Order: sequence, then C-alpha cells, then structure tokens
Amino acid sequence: MTRAEFISRLKRGLAGLPATSIADAVADYDAHFDDAVAAGRTEAETAAALGDPDRLARELRAEAGLKRWEETKNPSAAAGAVFAVLGLGAIDILILLPILMGVIGALFGFFMAGIGIFIAGGFVFSAGPFFDPPGGPAVAILGGIGLMAAATALTAVTGLVTVGLVNVLVWYGRLHYRLLKPAIEPQA
Amino acid sequence: MPEAIETQLKKGVLALCVLALLSKADSYAYEIASQLAHDIDMGEGTIYPLMRRLQSDGLVETYLVESTSGPPRKYYRLTTAGRDSFAAQKAEWAAFTKAVDDILGAAA
Repeated sequence: MTRAEFISRLKRGLAGLPATSIADAVADYDAHFDDAVAAGRTEAETAAALGDPDRLARELRAEAGLKRWEETKNPSAAAGAVFAVLGLGAIDILILLPILMGVIGALFGFFMAGIGIFIAGGFVFSAGPFFDPPGGPAVAILGGIGLMAAATALTAVTGLVTVGLVNVLVWYGRLHYRLLKPAIEPQA
Repeated sequence: MPEAIETQLKKGVLALCVLALLSKADSYAYEIASQLAHDIDMGEGTIYPLMRRLQSDGLVETYLVESTSGPPRKYYRLTTAGRDSFAAQKAEWAAFTKAVDDILGAAA
C-alpha cells in the first residue's frame, strides 16, 4: 500500500468525526511516513507496520464515540457508543441485532408504559373525584398520586437499566480492542 | 478469555513502556513507535492514539523542535503527574511480576 492510499483510506474511515480530530489523526500518520522515509524505509513497509488503516479508523471512531458517552449520558451518545462497539466487529452483528432489537423494544416499552401510567395517574388524580368513585374522592386523589409515583419509579429504573446495559457493552468493547483504554483502569 | 487478557496486558504494558522511555529522555512518536511496537506486537499505528490519550490524561505534554529536514517535530515529555504515575505503575509492575515469578519458580 502506498502512503497516499493509506491516508485516503484512513480519511474515508474517519469521515463524520469533527474536522479537527480527522486533521490531527492524519497529521500524526503523515509525520510518521516522513520520519520512516527519512529513516530509509519504503512507503509499503511503513504502511504495513502501521497496520490496517480501516481498522485504525474504526478504532479511532470507537474511542471518540465512547469518550462522548462517558462525558454526556444522553440518548444520542448512547446510540453512538453502541454503534461504535458494533462497528469494531467485537460482536457479530447478525447474532446481536435480533437480541439488541428485543432489548431496545423492551426498554422502549417500559418507557412508554411509564409515560402512559403517569398520564393515567394524572387523569385519576384530577378527574377521578368528579365521577363519584368507590371509597370517595380522597381515594381517587391518593390513587392518582400513587399511580404517578409508580410510573416515575418505573421510568427511572428503566433509565438506570439502559445506562447499565450501554456501560456493559462499552466495557466489552474495551476488553477486546487494542486502542481503547484498558477495561480495568490502573489504580494509580 | 485468554485473548482478552492478552489485549488488556498489552494495553497496560504499552502505556507503561511509553512512560518508561520518556522518563529516560524526551522523544517523538516515530522513535517511540519504532522502539516499542515491534517488541510488544501492537502495530506502530497504535502508538498515536495512545500518545493522544496520555496527553489528554495529563501524563505527557508536547513541544515543537525545529527539524533540519521537513516540518518541526513534535516531542513528548513527561509531566509531574506522568512521573508520579510512572513510579506508581512501575512499582505495581515489579510487585506483580515478582509474585508471578515466585509462583512459576515454585511450580518448576
């Protein structure tokens, strides 16, 4: 592989990352080629020693995605982290996809159920007393508050489970891939 | 999962080796890569993301040195935090390998 080929494959693989990150990575490898050529190595030798640019790009992207997830725990960063780990090929996507769809579907269901129960609770709380419920209006008001509290708890637990699952996936990616930080951090 | 353990070991050891080299003398990435990557079999390309991470963790810092050929070269040096981290990791490594050696020696 020539130097130009290596750099262009690296750039292609990094497309979508912030322009400064791409420029930094490309500058690193350009400097490496300069030094290698100065040291008397051929472009092909140097490229072979650097490793597969597609793989380097995937791992750099994954690192960026996981870093964003660690900094901001929001749904788009979570999706980024999940796809970054999948992109590494750490887990066979054909095996994982049906499971992942199931898990995402179940989590989505729990979130929706939480919202639905909350709305129902709000309805029982506000409108219930006017429909002459068994046990009197106080029961409807307290029952409504109870439903809303239960829904909030359900949504919160689902949120925690989601964060936990993404973290497990990130840990798995770190465990198996070269560039990513060690899965188990040094104590220092 | 022996493969995962090997990956973990290499990742940890590579960072330790980079800190060790820089504790002796400031250096630039190509030199570090060619000295280390082959010995530890990580691919020279792996050094660059590692250097970036050490830098963002505040263990190393960079400065530019004019080069006789081509653009100025980016040198790395250890920060105070980097020296502390190196000393701690080195002690940990020595204790760990000694324990393993003792077990291996006892088994022989």
